[in-house]
Amino acid sequence: MEDVVLHYRPGSVAGLSSLLETTEKLLEAFPCRTPPVFTSWFPTSATDRLPIRPAKPAPVITSSANLLISDNNRLHTHTAAAKTCELQKTKDGVSERHDDCAGSETIRSPDEKTQKSKDALCISETPNHLLPLSAYNKPESRITRLSPEKQPQKDKDGFTATDCPVKRCWRVCTQRGVVLQSSQLLSKQFHHMVSIHSLHLRQRAKWVISEDNCGAANSIEEVWQTLSRSVRNTRLPTCNVNIQRERAEIWVFCDVLYSEQVGRFLKNELQLTGKISLSVHRLGNVFSM
Amino acid sequence: MTTITRQDLNFGQVVADILCEFLEVAIHLILYVREVYPSGIFQKRKKYNVPVQMSCHPELNQYIQDTLHCIKPLIEKNDAEKVVVVIMDKEHHPVERFVFEISQPPLLSISSDALLSHVEQLLRAFILKISVCDAVLNNNPPGCSFTVLVHTRDAATRNMEKVQVIKDFPWIVADEQEVHMQEPRLIPLKTMTSDIVKMQLYVEERAQKT
Repeated sequence: MEDVVLHYRPGSVAGLSSLLETTEKLLEAFPCRTPPVFTSWFPTSATDRLPIRPAKPAPVITSSANLLISDNNRLHTHTAAAKTCELQKTKDGVSERHDDCAGSETIRSPDEKTQKSKDALCISETPNHLLPLSAYNKPESRITRLSPEKQPQKDKDGFTATDCPVKRCWRVCTQRGVVLQSSQLLSKQFHHMVSIHSLHLRQRAKWVISEDNCGAANSIEEVWQTLSRSVRNTRLPTCNVNIQRERAEIWVFCDVLYSEQVGRFLKNELQLTGKISLSVHRLGNVFSM
Repeated sequence: MTTITRQDLNFGQVVADILCEFLEVAIHLILYVREVYPSGIFQKRKKYNVPVQMSCHPELNQYIQDTLHCIKPLIEKNDAEKVVVVIMDKEHHPVERFVFEISQPPLLSISSDALLSHVEQLLRAFILKISVCDAVLNNNPPGCSFTVLVHTRDAATRNMEKVQVIKDFPWIVADEQEVHMQEPRLIPLKTMTSDIVKMQLYVEERAQKT
């Protein structure tokens, strides 16, 4: 330790001694507490018992424009172009081997999940609960395939994309790749509505497309497929969409800021007929187009 | 001060409810922090008065809910000693194991209503530790998946019936390779001791992840 020089005011001797005492205490090393050694309460090695786990693997969510289809115990991803893939049975059920050549259709088991950009588009599929239970609980050997870009193709059990029991009902679109447009593009009418209801521009709003709006499309499912493609191409800013098959409606959620732009897109690109209505939480319908 | 046994007030159920609720939040947060799923599927929420990230993907949420629904009877009966969230690489070898060790006292001493708020504070500390654990862990390789393992006090086969509460969500005994990790690095995260439950969380991290 280096020398410590204490400057003090000359005075009583008692004052000096207490000052020295205080100084010595201050210069003492801080006590160090040794942290207790961490030990597991139930070390695995102590017991030979193996744990249990769900037989079903966790869902795979791809982060590219790949489609992901789940059929109870299996999940597959598809890319755009099609080539034949060899099916291979594994101990966990059915998983598929995929061609490594570029542009080929890729069907992957959960073990071969890929994960790309964090903020990329996420697509998944959930079961259509309206379908008969018997159709939904088909044996594991059936593989469902669904890709909007492709013509329906028969799988090994003869099921096509249109009659497969699993149908997409949920999509989300991130901001990436979306050309943002400013609120100046809001029409006067829309701007007036926003100010009347004191809506926040980042508040969520919902466009409802019903069967009456199908127009050029034959059915709500056809509209849904077209819309799904648009969402996957991130053409709809801040949108997530879902199909309400029970109601035969498609709900398109977006920020108020973009809702007019989204509404115009829906009307024009999907060639919808009639009026579609925009609703916000608590207020209900606030705008129609 | 009142002393209540496990049978009173359906104590086991209360503990199971609290723990399963906590585990749900913790699993979502672990999956987000460790980047098992794309961050785009997560939304910020508030739980235990702190921000957490929860998945908004219905299929993943359902999977987590089903898993915890099956675990609940084991916790209720005090049969689960460890719940482990295992992050696995493409070859299904564990790279990280988030181990929640659970211990419940046979007797419960309840003094006041402050009990549950105290537990909430302790659970909040766990959540905060998980949310910053990426600072002490190495990055995971791409293409990871996860599973949840439950270590039971008795032989697993004796507990199989208890967890099979959902018809189409079967449980199996885990493989040896899913359980054991080569040269794991042990990272203690948090320990809590409350009147109703004791819990300890640590991470086992594989030394060579790639």
